[in-house]
Amino acid sequence: MLTEGSNLTLRREARIDRSSRTVIALLTARKSIRVGAGWGVVFGLYVATQALAYATSYKTPAARQILVDEFAHNTGISALVGPANQIGTVPGYTAWKCLAVLAIIGAVWGILTSTKMTRGEEDAGRWELLLVGQVTRRGAAQQALLGLCAGGFALFVSTALITAAVGRSSKVGIGTGGAIYFALSVASGAIMFLAVGSLCSQLSTSRRQAASFASAILGVSYALRMIADSGSNLAWLRWVTPLGWIEELQPLTSPRPIAFVPIVGLVIVMAVATVNLAGRRDLGAGILADRSTISSIRQLPSNPLGLALYLSRSALIAWAVSIAAYGLLLGSIAKSGGKIITSSPSLRSVFARLGVSGAEAYLSVALLIMSVALTFVAVSQVAVARKEESRGQLDNLLVQPFSRSSWLGGRIALGVVAIVMGGLLAGIATWTGAVSDHAHVNLLSMLGAGLNVAVPALVVFGFGVFALTIAPRYVNVVTYGLLVWFFLVEIVGGGVRINHWILDLSAFHQMAAAPATPIDWTTNAIMAAIAMLTAGLGVKLFTLRDLKGE
Amino acid sequence: MTTPAIETFDLRKDFGSTRALRGLNLQVNEGEVVGCLGPNGAGKTTLIRLLLGLLIPTAGRAEIFGMDSRRQTVQAHRRLAYVPGEASLWPTLSGAETLHLLGRVHGHVDEDYRVTLIDRFGLDVTKRVRALSKGNRQKLILVAALMTRADVLILDEPTSGLDPLMEQAFRLCVHEAKERGQSVLLSSHILSEVEALCDRIGILRSGELVEMGTMTQMRHLSALTVEATFEGNVPDVTRIAGVSMVEVQGSRVRCQVRGSIEPLLQVFASTGVIELLSREPSLEELFLSHYGSPTAEVANADRGQ
Repeated sequence: MLTEGSNLTLRREARIDRSSRTVIALLTARKSIRVGAGWGVVFGLYVATQALAYATSYKTPAARQILVDEFAHNTGISALVGPANQIGTVPGYTAWKCLAVLAIIGAVWGILTSTKMTRGEEDAGRWELLLVGQVTRRGAAQQALLGLCAGGFALFVSTALITAAVGRSSKVGIGTGGAIYFALSVASGAIMFLAVGSLCSQLSTSRRQAASFASAILGVSYALRMIADSGSNLAWLRWVTPLGWIEELQPLTSPRPIAFVPIVGLVIVMAVATVNLAGRRDLGAGILADRSTISSIRQLPSNPLGLALYLSRSALIAWAVSIAAYGLLLGSIAKSGGKIITSSPSLRSVFARLGVSGAEAYLSVALLIMSVALTFVAVSQVAVARKEESRGQLDNLLVQPFSRSSWLGGRIALGVVAIVMGGLLAGIATWTGAVSDHAHVNLLSMLGAGLNVAVPALVVFGFGVFALTIAPRYVNVVTYGLLVWFFLVEIVGGGVRINHWILDLSAFHQMAAAPATPIDWTTNAIMAAIAMLTAGLGVKLFTLRDLKGE
Repeated sequence: MTTPAIETFDLRKDFGSTRALRGLNLQVNEGEVVGCLGPNGAGKTTLIRLLLGLLIPTAGRAEIFGMDSRRQTVQAHRRLAYVPGEASLWPTLSGAETLHLLGRVHGHVDEDYRVTLIDRFGLDVTKRVRALSKGNRQKLILVAALMTRADVLILDEPTSGLDPLMEQAFRLCVHEAKERGQSVLLSSHILSEVEALCDRIGILRSGELVEMGTMTQMRHLSALTVEATFEGNVPDVTRIAGVSMVEVQGSRVRCQVRGSIEPLLQVFASTGVIELLSREPSLEELFLSHYGSPTAEVANADRGQ
């Protein structure tokens, strides 16, 4: 017979048993829901501003017809962001402008989040503590997948709510069903690559390697989608790439829910493989063999700055290749892009007054994307510096005859060089692409424009270094917060009328639209000075605080 | 008079409302090996991180050969090497690359001694750090510090994760360092290691140095350990002045006595003692006398029932 005491014990054991089955799921869900919902809000606002900006700028059927004539059969643009179906309508234009871009950003988020929550947690040794309890390796993987799924769902819900809300506007005219279907299409990129990242985490021996594998898959997926949309006879390739499946969903135009079949199939296959492989490998190891011995000393730097460069080389090369490739792509459709800009009567008159060509006008808008990419470089450089400190690796250097200011100064130098070189590379690559499209663009003006778009990234970098020294544990919140703030103010400010004080607080807004408008070197110098001042203050303050772990 | 290798002056460190170190004064002389004992949270690692300039003192200061560890950090670090209890190294580098990098940053490496150390610790330097076990990572960071032949070695639980054979190898290294005139500050939980290696020992408690001296001095100042066996029941000795850490096992009692032993002997004599042993306390007993023994608490609780 059970006594009251033994009943209580049994109930407590049952609770512990239940909590062991959910602890990883809850921890993963808590983190991924927060970030996923945040990105969903950004996605929703982007959709809202694009829809409202189109409805405001292209009011008449005639103005919209110019867009249709230029882009309905433009293979260059189609290869870049997908075919322009029904862009004479607000929903059609919104889907064309937002779907491909947001699906890729969502996919990148999916890769970073899933590798961090699975392989990253394992690398940090936190899973080991949980796995010695009642959780099996397969169980842990299942729970993590559930938590990640909740994050993807949060991204979908936020995007759907804002899209549905803006869709109610008579100017936009997107129904609730259409908004939900569109948000689901956008979130598919994130959800598929959450699953891809989870599987790569089982194959790899570190989070970094897992993220590299998953990024390579995303790159191949994008390349295949581009080939499929380039007007060749290879349109069927759309059905072999995840980004092509998203395109085949055709939200807000001619919905084809059948394309959800491969999407759901991929997610299920990846999830099952993840759980299966998690049970087959050793904790801390990967399914793919790792080269664990190095017979001789490679060309290894002998100082901390060289070490920082050595350890960041893969990421910096990846950024450089991405910026160059994207610059070439954007430049290669400069003439067509110029026509889309000047097809808006209001914008045409503005650029006519400035005496610039359509191609230059288009490139100035295209380079804003480069500015965002360079800001990501800045954010990642600050994050890497913080990681070196929080993991304790910095201790190894600072117990040597090597000062804190030398270390941080070196990190700042590396970040500034990476950003400035990235800006110049963006200018050269875009110019090369534009020349191949026979657009008349001056190399020097494009180099200047490249430097121009690097300035907002320097501002974020400077504030990031400052945050690193006064609030190290919140450095990512500060840098990503600034990036999102600058970007949102710029895109919202372009679509709707907002207070100029708010607009002035965005570094993207302060940046001149070069090469369409002359570069404002005074403003750039002030922004660069602010960046250097905050970074310099950061160096000073860094010598006054304790080193802090995670 | 030579400048001490390490000296702290009313060194204090607060973390928010928590006072981790309370005005600590410590001195390690040239060529001296000083041990630092204390339970978790006593302030040992905080002291070491302050000496290294990784933490900023709330008050007071720390000096390495007369150089302020906060203001003259780089100069001070030219003369020291540090071994943490668990080093976070760069996982993609091999052991050889790690040693090469840390040696170049430090600026001075005894190449021959590095070879000796790698051999002595049986370290495979071709492996990547991420492929090394915890013990092998510890060996790697030990070699990285010892190969510099720095004037001061600051060791924070350096044998954490090492097997007994490697611990012997480590002890040999410390003896060699002492013979060369290097100074060592050793923080450890392994009392036998501290007792075997250190000239002087400091005991930290809640951020304060409660005891400092050689083993002989500490024994002299500390309690005497007394063990007695009785024919019948063990008498109650817990109320006798100066008696502490009472442990009772059947007809045997073990306790420590400070001051005069006479009142205790009077009680023993009146109860029928058949065996009596007294000896100076071991380091473990000295250490426990500052923190209290859980077994003694249990014994006292049993007696109180």
